Amino acid sequence: MAETLVKKFVVTRFDPDKDEAPRTESYEVPCHPDWKVLDALNHIKDEIDGSLAHRWSCRMSVCGSCGMNVNGQPTLTCKKAVSDLPDTVEVTPLANFPVVRDLVVELDGFMEKLKSVKPWIIRAKEKAVEEGPMRQSQAELEEFKQFSMCINCMLCYAACPVVANEPEFLGPAAIALGHRYSVDSRDEGAAERNEIFRGEGTVFACSYANECSEVCPKHVDPAAAVNQAKFNAVIDWAAGLVLPRGGKE
Amino acid sequence: MRAAIAAVEADPDISVALVSKVYPMRSHTVSAEGGAAGVAREDDSLEMHGFDTVKGSDFLGDQDVIQYFVEHAPKELTRLEHWGCPWSRNEDGSVATRAFGGMSTKRTWYAADKVGFHMLHSLFQHSLRFDRIVRYDEQFVTKLIVDGGQVRGVTALDIREGVVRCILGRAVVLCTGGAGKIFPFTTNGNIKTGDGMALAYRSGVPLKDMEFVQYHPTGLPGTGILITEATRGEGGHVKNKDGERFLVTRDYGVGKKAELGPRDMISRAIVQEIEAGRGIDSQYGQYALLDLTHLGEEKIDSRLPMVRELCKIYAGVDPVYEPIPIRPVVHYMMGGVDVDIDGKANGVSGLFAAGETACVSLNGANRLGSNSLTECLVFGARSGLSAVNFAKGASAGDDAALAKVGEAEQGRIDALRGKQGGGETLAGIRGDMQKAMESGCGVYREEATMQQTVRDIAELEGRYANLSLEDSSKVFNTEIVAALELENMLDCARAVSNSAASRNESRGAHTRRDATARDDVNFLYHTLCHFDPAGPRLDKKDVTLGRWEPEERKY
Amino acid sequence: MADAHPHAMAPTRPGKTRTAPPQRPPQFPMGGRYLAYTAFGWTGLIYLLLGFLVIEAVWALGDGAAAWQEQLLRYEHPVYIAFHVLALASVVFVGVRFFRLFPKAQPPRIGPAKPPPQSLIHGTLYAVWVGATVVFGAILAGGLF
Repeated sequence: MAETLVKKFVVTRFDPDKDEAPRTESYEVPCHPDWKVLDALNHIKDEIDGSLAHRWSCRMSVCGSCGMNVNGQPTLTCKKAVSDLPDTVEVTPLANFPVVRDLVVELDGFMEKLKSVKPWIIRAKEKAVEEGPMRQSQAELEEFKQFSMCINCMLCYAACPVVANEPEFLGPAAIALGHRYSVDSRDEGAAERNEIFRGEGTVFACSYANECSEVCPKHVDPAAAVNQAKFNAVIDWAAGLVLPRGGKE
Repeated sequence: MRAAIAAVEADPDISVALVSKVYPMRSHTVSAEGGAAGVAREDDSLEMHGFDTVKGSDFLGDQDVIQYFVEHAPKELTRLEHWGCPWSRNEDGSVATRAFGGMSTKRTWYAADKVGFHMLHSLFQHSLRFDRIVRYDEQFVTKLIVDGGQVRGVTALDIREGVVRCILGRAVVLCTGGAGKIFPFTTNGNIKTGDGMALAYRSGVPLKDMEFVQYHPTGLPGTGILITEATRGEGGHVKNKDGERFLVTRDYGVGKKAELGPRDMISRAIVQEIEAGRGIDSQYGQYALLDLTHLGEEKIDSRLPMVRELCKIYAGVDPVYEPIPIRPVVHYMMGGVDVDIDGKANGVSGLFAAGETACVSLNGANRLGSNSLTECLVFGARSGLSAVNFAKGASAGDDAALAKVGEAEQGRIDALRGKQGGGETLAGIRGDMQKAMESGCGVYREEATMQQTVRDIAELEGRYANLSLEDSSKVFNTEIVAALELENMLDCARAVSNSAASRNESRGAHTRRDATARDDVNFLYHTLCHFDPAGPRLDKKDVTLGRWEPEERKY
Repeated sequence: MADAHPHAMAPTRPGKTRTAPPQRPPQFPMGGRYLAYTAFGWTGLIYLLLGFLVIEAVWALGDGAAAWQEQLLRYEHPVYIAFHVLALASVVFVGVRFFRLFPKAQPPRIGPAKPPPQSLIHGTLYAVWVGATVVFGAILAGGLF
């Protein structure tokens, strides 16, 4: 019989209609040793306090819904084992995001940033289906593959000190996604995205904290993407001074 | 999303409301791992793909649908490639394919082992290009607005604000996935609660072939997390506690295909091995083994990296060195909203459905792995086009009358929110429903337990009226969403259990201990389940046969 | 918990329900890995001061041999020495931190050219750095030129 771990969960609660500001509530949860933090939260919701609100879906670290700060660290709660945590576990909503309710944060700001980098294949002339798939070598695929792994969990935004201070900054995931497309051999839109990267959301706001890559549960390494994007943005700008537009790579 | 893109591309004047109870990146397609099938190689043919699918469906699939599907599969997968999907490649830069269960040759396109993730994100990101696709995120549709037999839109609860709004449209396409959460042990995520199926059902559209629930052979014990069929496609072996590859050494109907047999047969084989005492004990029940240790680290890291990670995080096992514990787990519902090849729902005009929500029927009594992702693209596109064509000719309806429907829904939701006094809890009813479904509608079924489940679900619907809720907040009330989902799940559970009890044969995924043979004389039909306040009313619908006559299904 | 910028991650049109203000990452600025990041930022102050010292030295050079000799004596003062040790430590800290980042900041391709392997980039950076330090040291010590 597996030994139950009893942990105290201190969870942020906030109902804008009732609470002036977020407060906390504590719950004693008898945890199965195989549980993740999410299982404990669901136990609270099912058995102790049905009014707790949190987002989750796949429970297998791929949908990106369940990001929260656990003991100060941005964490995917479906991935973090309860047995790896001390007896008291603090669960707060993702840092750097406005809080809508309990552990639920406002996501539309992120959705806007994501859309603004034009995360789609840009080509001068669309390819016809009859022509079949475009050719791409495995090596070309490897160039951007890592950056395409982002599940939009936003842990990187919760970790980034620049996101905390500069609302215009595009942020790690959005830049990584834009960069993923610019580097994709099938895409022809790098110049357009480089202009966006040099614009208001400027990639140059990144000051090398590397926290985004430290917390990323999918090993996307957004810090690499952001700094590669800086490089490309500069080369593109310099080339633009020397060559007329249209003479790009 | 495929339907929405097809719709706006077809007509420059229309706009599409994309309404979802979660943000699009969270849809459960994201978790699909293995691949998407489409004829790609010289040694393959549309006919072969067609026959594999017909045979896999145990001859219950509609052959005109299957014909259309195999023709359009490669085109849709190519289109997605143009939209950026990072398919894995061969040496020469062409798209790579892998072997998959029930497929006579390699035709499953893949993107490492995260195909669903890449397909969903590519589709979503491509959809961002269209300003005419207007997204309504975190809106829970509570009812279809049907006026005079024609659909006029939906009422949706804004989860954040707690307000019910009418979203009016001239056509509605339901793409809400399946209802695996009616079972206790499933690969499905929390959101798969059969919402679209219930919406159609309550509006008078029958649910078709609901008894056919696919058990995927390899899920992790305890969590039910999916371990993709691609592990077997890449050469993995299934073994019992003695290390015996029982799919090879014993006769389970899969012949030389062994681990690449169809899912229903392999699930049955594993259950039989466990019942014969050759399973391994654990705190989560008995399980069998999936052995990848002979594949080598390099192959696993390049073709099955997510599987490796999942096993390490959720099973405490590194598949490079140890076999993976697995057991059959509910994965997919072949049944769904009764639609025709255009995606048109039977009984309400202007209503369409595609994907797992619908039963076209492409998959018949058993789905072949990697057909369903392609199904979403092929029939998503077709339904989108059908919806546009319908919408162009349809009238708008009386806004004032429609608004009244919205008000009534707001009243219903407000009354439900934080409702106190009854003795039942969400977790209690949900748990009992899941137990009943596992008992009566498992891999092996029999008369007595199925009938008990039918009675149990009916009783649970009664108990639902005594539900007691704790969250009275208007803002982001997830408890009321769970209550509405439970109502939808109970509808689906009723359809599944009643349909199952009525089918007195074994076909595909519906296997009975007390009627072990397939009976084409009496049961070669689609089961229809109609909503009726007095209890579900069952009916039959013909299967569209074609070039292939039903034959014995042996591999 | 401290507030982040009030508009951090806010959408252009705010949602219809009241939200609580975004919170800064709890460990920022002095906890966990953020300490190294904050220190990294604060070394800028040291470089600012170094800049003033360079100006002071150049000024002294300009004022003639006597002034320069006085300047050289100043360098033997313990506070100056302590400061320059601190400056050396911070330059090494920033250098190592930056060099660790540099290889992964190379884009996968510019036109047809691919970056050299990470170990080669690392090796070259350190070799150039150490080499330049040795050369400048030799010049300043009077061993060269």
